[in-house]
Amino acid sequence: MKISRNWLRQYVRLYSTTEELQRAITFLGFEVEGVQTTGLPPLENVVVGEIKTRAKHPNADKLSVCTVEVGPAHGGIRTIVCGAANCDAGHRVPVALPGAVLPGDFKIKQSKIRGQQSDGMMCAADELGLSGDHSGLLILAPDAPIGEALNKVMPDGDTVFDIEVTPNRPDALCHIGMARELSAWLRTELQFPAIKFNGKVGGASRPDILANIRVDAPEDCPLYVGIAVTGVKVGPSPAWMQERLAAVGLRPINNLVDVGNYVMLELGQPLHVFDAKKIAGRQIVVRRATDGEKLVTLDGKERALNSRMLVIADEARPLVVAGIMGGHDAGVDATTTDIILEAAYFRPQSVRWTSRRLGLASDSSYRFERGVDPHGTAEAARRAIDLILETAGGTVVGPAFTVGGDRPWSREITVAPHYIRAKVGFDITDDEMRDAFHGLHLPIKEEHDTKAGLEWTVGIPSYRGDLDRPIDLVEEVLRIYGTDRIPPQVSAGPALVDGDDDPIAVFNRQATDYLVGQHFHEVVNYTLRSKQELATWASAAAVEELGLANPFVDDQSHLRPTLVLGIMESLKLNQSRGVATARLFETGRVFMELNGTVQECVAVGFVLCHNPKDRAWLARPEPDFYAVKRHVEILARSAGIDLAAQEMVPVRGAFWGWQEGQSAAAGEMKDGWTARFGLLNLAMVRAAGIEGKVWAGTLALLPAKLAAAGGHRRYQPFSLFPAALRDLALVVDAARHADEVRTVLLKAARAATAGAAFTVESVAVFDVYAGKGLPEGKKSLAFALSFRSAERTLTDDEVNAVFAKIQQAIAADGSVTVRA
Amino acid sequence: MQATLTALLAKATAELPSLKTRADFEAAKARYVGPNGEFTALMKQMGTVPKEERPAMGKLINEAKAQLQVQLDATLQRLGDAEINAQLGPAIDPTLPSPDAGPGTSHPLTLVRDEMCRILRKAGFTVVEGPEVETEYYCFDALNTPPDHPARDAQDTFYFPEKSRFGNITKKTPEEKYLLRTHTSSVQIRTMLKGSPPIRVVSPGRVYRRDTSDATHSANFHQIECLYVDKNVTVRDLKALLDYIFASLLGKDTKTRFRPHYFGYTEPSFEVDLSAQHLPKVNKPWIEIGGCGMVDPLVFEGVGYDPNVWSGYAFGMGLERLAMLMYGIDDIRYFYQNDLRFLKQFA
Repeated sequence: MKISRNWLRQYVRLYSTTEELQRAITFLGFEVEGVQTTGLPPLENVVVGEIKTRAKHPNADKLSVCTVEVGPAHGGIRTIVCGAANCDAGHRVPVALPGAVLPGDFKIKQSKIRGQQSDGMMCAADELGLSGDHSGLLILAPDAPIGEALNKVMPDGDTVFDIEVTPNRPDALCHIGMARELSAWLRTELQFPAIKFNGKVGGASRPDILANIRVDAPEDCPLYVGIAVTGVKVGPSPAWMQERLAAVGLRPINNLVDVGNYVMLELGQPLHVFDAKKIAGRQIVVRRATDGEKLVTLDGKERALNSRMLVIADEARPLVVAGIMGGHDAGVDATTTDIILEAAYFRPQSVRWTSRRLGLASDSSYRFERGVDPHGTAEAARRAIDLILETAGGTVVGPAFTVGGDRPWSREITVAPHYIRAKVGFDITDDEMRDAFHGLHLPIKEEHDTKAGLEWTVGIPSYRGDLDRPIDLVEEVLRIYGTDRIPPQVSAGPALVDGDDDPIAVFNRQATDYLVGQHFHEVVNYTLRSKQELATWASAAAVEELGLANPFVDDQSHLRPTLVLGIMESLKLNQSRGVATARLFETGRVFMELNGTVQECVAVGFVLCHNPKDRAWLARPEPDFYAVKRHVEILARSAGIDLAAQEMVPVRGAFWGWQEGQSAAAGEMKDGWTARFGLLNLAMVRAAGIEGKVWAGTLALLPAKLAAAGGHRRYQPFSLFPAALRDLALVVDAARHADEVRTVLLKAARAATAGAAFTVESVAVFDVYAGKGLPEGKKSLAFALSFRSAERTLTDDEVNAVFAKIQQAIAADGSVTVRA
Repeated sequence: MQATLTALLAKATAELPSLKTRADFEAAKARYVGPNGEFTALMKQMGTVPKEERPAMGKLINEAKAQLQVQLDATLQRLGDAEINAQLGPAIDPTLPSPDAGPGTSHPLTLVRDEMCRILRKAGFTVVEGPEVETEYYCFDALNTPPDHPARDAQDTFYFPEKSRFGNITKKTPEEKYLLRTHTSSVQIRTMLKGSPPIRVVSPGRVYRRDTSDATHSANFHQIECLYVDKNVTVRDLKALLDYIFASLLGKDTKTRFRPHYFGYTEPSFEVDLSAQHLPKVNKPWIEIGGCGMVDPLVFEGVGYDPNVWSGYAFGMGLERLAMLMYGIDDIRYFYQNDLRFLKQFA
C-alpha cells in the first residue's frame, strides 16, 4: 500500500526527515518496501539568484567566473565559478550558498577553484534531487524573486512510502490509520478530517431514485448504508484530489469515482457509487448469487458466480460482486446525474472466499477481506457525501437507508502495568505505558488499585479487531516504546532441561560423518519427484499411494520412495557438466509401504560410481558389491542393526531399480528397517543418461526403530591364550551361498567342541575358488577355524581330535564334501 | 705361504662382488672360512711353519683373515641391501597427484544447520525432529491459524488425497487432511504434547510451500526453529538469545533488531533483522533473517499448558537464506543442483 507524506500531513504534523519517518514506520511494525521521492526536497540555503556577468576562467577552458545577485539578505552579489555551458548573464538559477547540503550529502563550502574564489554553487536539476539531466543549470522563471528560498518558488515535493501491512492490521490500510500510528510514535496529536454532512437528508423523499434496500444475506453483510444524491455533474475531480490519488498510484477517473477511492485511501472504507438510473426497479438487493449466474465485471471479464458468493443486485440482475468489483455496465458514466452511494461492512471470510474463487482481487476486496471498521462505515459515507457535494454538486435526497447495525465490537481489556513489565522483562514506567495507550487512541477508562497492584481498563476501538487480550496490549506498549530500546542482556545460563538430541538427528549426524570420512560428497535433492521417474522404482499401485492431491508442477507430484533417484540426478548433472563424480550420498525422509499404509522413514543412500571416462594415471580397483555392503553394514550399526547377523537376500527380478545377480536386500519394513545394496540396474542407469556402473546402498528406518535402538553395552571377557588355527576347504554347488555353508560348518564345530575344554572362536571364509581341478557346477570354499581356551594354550592333539570330528560330521552332510 | 695367502685374498676379492644371492654367498663363505675351507686349511698349516717364523707368519695370517672378513661382511651387507631394494618399487614422483578420492564434503545446508545446533546446544537447546507429512491440526489449528487463513489454501500448501493413509503419522481428528508441513512449527506442538515444561528445543527440518521455483524460492526448503517454555520467560530473554546466536555465528559485532510483526502463534511477534555490513553481497544496513515472538496463550491452552503459569518464546528462520547470506550465494537452486564445484567450496 502506498502512503503519501503530503497526504499524511493533512492529519498529523510531520517535521521528520524521510529517513526518520521510514524508521518510525518500520519500528511501528510495518515493512517499508520502497520509498519514492518526487519534487524538490526541503533544502536550506538554496535561493534564487540572477547571473549578472559571465567571464572565462583565466586558468580553465571549460569554466566560467560569474557574478550572481542573491539578494541583500544573502550578501548581495557573489562570485561563483561555474562549469555549465548555459550560465549566461540574465538567467535566474538556483544558487546553493555555503552551508547548504544538497541531496547525496553534498556540502557546499566557500572554495577556490583553479585559483578563483567561488562563493557557492549554481545548480542543475539533478543536483537538487530532481529528475532531469546535468546538461546545464536549471533555469528558473524570469520573475522568480531573487533571494527567495528555492522551496518557496518551486512546487512541493512528496515522498511516497510503499508499506506492507500485516493481515491483523486492516486499520492501517489508509492514511488516517498510518497517521494515527505516526502520531503515537511522534507523540503528537492526530487531526481528523472535519465532516459536515450529519446523515440527515435535507432534500425531498425520492423513492423514484431509490425505493428500497433489502439485505437477504445479513450474515455476510451485517451493515449496508445507501444514500442517494441527485443532480450531480460528472467531471474531473479537483487538482488536489487528482494529485493525491496519482501520488499513490491511482489513475484519476472522474469526480465520483475519485471520491470513492479517496475516502477508501483516507479512512480505509471501500465505497461504491451506482448510477441510480441503471438500477432496475429502484431496488438494491444484497443477496447470494444463484449457481451459474453471470456478471461481466469492470475489467471486461465474464464471471460465473455461485450460491456462496454475495452480490449487490437490482430486481433483475447482479450489479456488483459484493466488496470486490462492480459490473461493467452499472457504474457511473459521463451522463450520470443521480447516484446511490454504498458503504457496507461485508463479512471478511465471505469476501476472501469469493475473491480467491474468482481469482479476482481489488483494493476494495483487499480491505474487506481483512476487515474494515464496522463503526467507521457510516462515517466514511458521510465523508464521501461531503466530497461529492463539494466536487460534483447535487442534493442528498431521502430516504437514506441503513440496513443492519453497528456490531458491538468496541470493548475493554483489563491489564496491569506490572503484567506488561513481567512480559517484556525490563522496566517501562507507568507513564510511558499511559503515553503509548493515549497515542494509539486506546483510552485508559479506569484505573484501579488492587491487591496485586495497579490495573487499567483500556478501551479498544472497533477498528482494532486485533486487540483482545492483555498480551495484545503488551505488544502495543512495546511498539510505541520502541523495540530498538529493549535492553541487551547476557544470555542467561541454561536451566537444566531434560532430554537429548532426537535419535533421528543423531543417526543422520553419524551417517553423514561416516560417509564424509569415506570421501563421499553430500547432496540435497527435492522430496517431490515425478510419477514417470517413480515408475522405474515401484509398482503403479505403490506410486499411486505417494501422489499429492494438488501438485504445483508435473515433475514434482509424488513423494520419493528412495533417495537413489535424486542422487542419480545429481550424478547425471555432474557428468553432463564434465565434473568427475565418484561418491555421493544423501540423508533425508523417504516414504515406504507397510501393511497398506505409507510410512515416513529416515533414510540414507549413497552411490559409488565407476565411470571409465574418469581417467587417472594410476589405476585403482573398481568398486564392487562388497565395498557397498561394508558401507551399509557400518551405517546400519548406527541404527543398532547388526547387518552381518541378518538374512541377506539376493535381488531376483522383483526388486525395482537393482541389478539382478549383483544386488542384495536385508531387513523388512515390519521390523522397522530395510536395506538394499549392490549395482543399480544398468538399463535404468543408461536410460537416465548416466555413464558407467553405479554401485549403491540404501538404508531406510522407521523413526520408532531408531528410538528403540541403543542401550547399554557390557564388557565381555576375552582369552589371553593363543588361538589354534585349522583350515578346511569344502566343495559345494556353485550356487550355494557361503554363509549357508559356513553355518553348517559352524554348527559342526560347535557340536564337536561341546565336550571339550575349549570353544570354536570363529569360522571365516578366506578363499573362494571354481575352475580347474573341480567338477563343473561346483566351487570350493576355504574356511579358517579358530579354536581357543580361556584357561590355557591348546595342544595339537586335542585340537586335531576335534578337527577330525568336524570333518567326519561334514562328510556326513551329503551336500558338502571335504576337498582333498 | 705368503704367496698363497695373497693369491687367496685376490681370488676372494675377485669373486665376492659378483655373488648374486645369499645362497651363493653362504657357499663361497664355506669355501673360504668353512671347516673345509681354503683359508681354514692354510691356518691348519701353521704347525708346519718353523718356530722362529711363526710370529711373523701368524701376523700375516691374522691380517689376511681380517681383510677377508671385511670383504665377507661387505658382501653380506650388499646382498641384504639388494634384497630390500628388490622389495621396493621404482622411486616415487612426489608431484604426481594421488589417484584416490579426495576429501568428502558435507552439504552447505548441513554445515549451517549443524553450526546453529552447536551454538544452540551451548544455550541448552536439544534437537527434536518431527514428520514432514503433517496434518492440519499440527501444522495450522494448534498454531492458531484459522480454517480460512490464506496460508492453508490449496494454492499455497501441498495436500494429500483424502484416501491417503500414513501409518506412522498421528492425526488429531479422523477427518483432517494430510499435508506437507509448511513450517517446522508443527514440531513445537508435537514436542509440547509429548513432553512437559520446561522445554528447550531446536527443530531443524525440511518444509514445503506450493510456490514457483526461482532464484529465491524453492518447492522445499529448510527451517530451523527454537522453542523455550518455562516460567517467567520475557521478550528481553528472546532478544538476548538472538543476540547470542548471531554474535556466535557471524561475529560479535553482529547486531540484531526486532521489528513488531504479526504471526498467529506468537504475541507479541517480531521480525528479526541482522546488521549486514560485514556480510558478502548485501548492500543494506539491515537484512531480515527470521521471525520470532512470545508463544501465544492460545497455543499453550491448545496443548494443555496453563498460560498463567507457563510462558515461552519461539524463533524460526530459513536455513537456505542464512546460508546464502553467510556464503554470498545468490541463487537458492544451487543448493539442489549439487554441482560438485559448488559443494566442494564449503567444507
